[in-house]
Amino acid sequence: MAELRNVIVFTIGAVRYAVELRWVREVVSLGFVTAVPTAPPALGGVCNLHGTILPVLDVGAVLGGPPGPPARQGDGALVLETEGVICALRVDQVDHVASLHESGGAIVDAGGKPLTLLDPAVLVRLALELITTVGTAEPVP
Amino acid sequence: MSDLDLDFDPDELAMLRQLFRTEAQDALETVTTRVLAGGSAKPTHDALTEMMRVTHTLKGAAGTVGLNTMVDLSHRLESALAAFGREPSPWTPATADLLVEVTDALRGYLDVATEPAGEIAAVKIRDQIDQIARPNRRPMSLPPPFVEPPPEPVIEPTPDGAPIPETKAWLRVEPERIDELMSSAGELLFDRTRIERRVQLLRTLARDLARTRQNLHDALDTPNAPSRAALGEAESELAGQAALLSQTTAALLDEIEALRRTIGELQKSLTRIRMGPARDLMTHAARTLRALRRATGVHVELRTIGEDTEFDKAVAEQLVDPITQLLRNAVAHGVEPPAERAAKGKPATATVTIRARQDGNLLVLEVSDDGRGIDTAALRERLVSTGQWSATRAELANDGEILDALLGSGVSVRGDADELAGRGIGIGLVRQTVSKLGGEVKVSSSPGRGTTFSLRLPLSTALAQAMLFKVGGQVYAIPNVHVIDTTLVDATATTATVRHEQLPVLRLEALLGQGTATDRRAGVVVSFAGKSLVCTVDKIIGPREIIIKPLGPLLAPLTLYAGATISGSGKVQLILDPAQLVRRAYPDAPDAAIDDAGSAPMVLAGRALVIDDSRAIREAMTSMLGREGWIVDVAEDGARALQMTRQLRYDLIVTDLEMPELGGFDLIVHLRKDERFKTTPIVIITSRANPEHRRRARDLGVLALVAKPITRRKLLEALATR
Repeated sequence: MAELRNVIVFTIGAVRYAVELRWVREVVSLGFVTAVPTAPPALGGVCNLHGTILPVLDVGAVLGGPPGPPARQGDGALVLETEGVICALRVDQVDHVASLHESGGAIVDAGGKPLTLLDPAVLVRLALELITTVGTAEPVP
Repeated sequence: MSDLDLDFDPDELAMLRQLFRTEAQDALETVTTRVLAGGSAKPTHDALTEMMRVTHTLKGAAGTVGLNTMVDLSHRLESALAAFGREPSPWTPATADLLVEVTDALRGYLDVATEPAGEIAAVKIRDQIDQIARPNRRPMSLPPPFVEPPPEPVIEPTPDGAPIPETKAWLRVEPERIDELMSSAGELLFDRTRIERRVQLLRTLARDLARTRQNLHDALDTPNAPSRAALGEAESELAGQAALLSQTTAALLDEIEALRRTIGELQKSLTRIRMGPARDLMTHAARTLRALRRATGVHVELRTIGEDTEFDKAVAEQLVDPITQLLRNAVAHGVEPPAERAAKGKPATATVTIRARQDGNLLVLEVSDDGRGIDTAALRERLVSTGQWSATRAELANDGEILDALLGSGVSVRGDADELAGRGIGIGLVRQTVSKLGGEVKVSSSPGRGTTFSLRLPLSTALAQAMLFKVGGQVYAIPNVHVIDTTLVDATATTATVRHEQLPVLRLEALLGQGTATDRRAGVVVSFAGKSLVCTVDKIIGPREIIIKPLGPLLAPLTLYAGATISGSGKVQLILDPAQLVRRAYPDAPDAAIDDAGSAPMVLAGRALVIDDSRAIREAMTSMLGREGWIVDVAEDGARALQMTRQLRYDLIVTDLEMPELGGFDLIVHLRKDERFKTTPIVIITSRANPEHRRRARDLGVLALVAKPITRRKLLEALATR
């Protein structure tokens, strides 16, 4: 059964992704990105979003691939909110908002090209796992 | 008994005495209420019994915290009350008033009990009580001691023209708010002690588990098949340890919950201390506007709304400048000249409105004028002509976004933004101050009708002092309470001498940045839990007041960071956790050594239940028994204790005799009926041990009867008879 999804379509590197609009709180251009030493590449840094600390994720690295370019001030980002966690995804380009058919996890854009549909809850869980592994590792004397 | 004979460290004793004072105030209040209820008539038998009970408890508790004069005074009061119940009763119509006087005097005495003035007060109270007990005798009173009145303060008149010294900012706080804080802080000490004890129990358990594992290993190592007996033994040991582990975990969770509550209370009281109405800020604004009116000749008046809105006084102080700035802007650039206003049909006198309100957890402060508004078209042009925005961006942006650019919400616009639209200088400053306080500024404007700046701030802020420094191009902070000094460290040194002490050096440039340093570097000397180290940094910025922001759930696993703060320019700066730095500098130290260097290894004695209606005695006993390796639970009366014993086994019961709900003997009778408590050692603590009590205690198989006040020696002797 195909289901209609309201998504925002964006590009990171050569990959086109989609994420459901209901998880997207804002589309912003990032303020100054503070690097977080000792964090895994999946965490691109932290930003100030209206006075709260916003972690910026590198989607490629979170999904187990090579990390993209470091997040910098002025980069575009999607601010997602899921299960009480707020985080941002650094993106190269926000393409458009669309209603697309999803069928068994596969989703294609209007031109028939396949998109990767991201589930923010899964992304957050993966990121948390990566960060936990690094964060609680024994310090090297 | 001097303080030295007591078994508490000074902090503990101070807190126990603070507890005792609170408790004593309540007890004396009870006596006063009972007396007043009867008018000048002799109190009923029940009322007298109640008064005697609380006075008696007071005596016991006073002894335990080493206030011997108070023991004597409450003893006298108790005897006097007892005398009223006998015939012929010494009660006279004047006694009620005298009794109230005595309890009032005793309350006053509590505050000075440990000071020299206390002894003088005590002599007088002793006399008063004696007089109540024997109204027909002439008081054998000494003349009241002569106390020299304090000299009148002399205020030197300030000579004309002399500079008046700058006044310091004082925070005016109602005393009750401080009391709340004191009691929460005291509570914290006890929470800590309880948790520490549980942790010690866990440590002992870990050792036991290791031993069991070794036994199991030995059993499996035997050439033949391991004997069933050996395995069975290990199994039952494990079962016992697992049970104790889950009990301890449950108790620990309870205690952490208690700690959470205490911290919550503490934060609430702290917040209450810091809160004040917006009125002061508005009064200040009114003064500023009057001065501006005189200076510029612009006809403008101030309207204020929401003066009773409460918010952080520290925040209010920091908002004085931004508000002044916004008023200045309104007068200089917002308000049109009278002729222009008249032409638009506006009243000649302009109005600036300051409105404060609470919106959820936010304080919203709005400064609006009814002037000409901001020309967004001109602002758009300026953004493009100064090259800050592309023409397309400016075209696509709505007016709201253009106005936001005025505030420089993107850092790139900042600096020049003030010039834009001729709003004068200082708007960037407003944004910077508000951002530092953890808030944000919004601006809305409607052409010809006016402009509104709205400052949205957290109601209260967790301001903390921190040492700021730079490493690898980024600014980091360490809470100032853990920073004891700054120093210089040689390039390759692995230790540094600070205040005659050899300390390990932690190279933050290696931990946080890239590469190693080649020259002498600045060092921040950090101390945590008795261990110190030197952290090398690129550059020390200095101590600053910061607002601590939580990192959120995603970053919580990064234990190196205790939080973050946001700089005036909106950058996130990470706060390093001193505990983690110490751990990295002392990699060999087991965790145990870091959290409590002073405590000796402890053998677990068992689980004890202390039952007493005095909080001070409960806490004192917890401390004494805890030091002997007991895990202590407490109950305030027999009924509660009975409930607790249904859920848990105890290896020792220590109980008072006289308690409001279920008395000590009744409790013991109940316990002895329970199979699990048939032979459990029970110690009675009492200040009223007569032969009848001793006989009953013996019949019930009580280990010992210990007279209050309890000392460590007496307690140990009683336990040694097990």
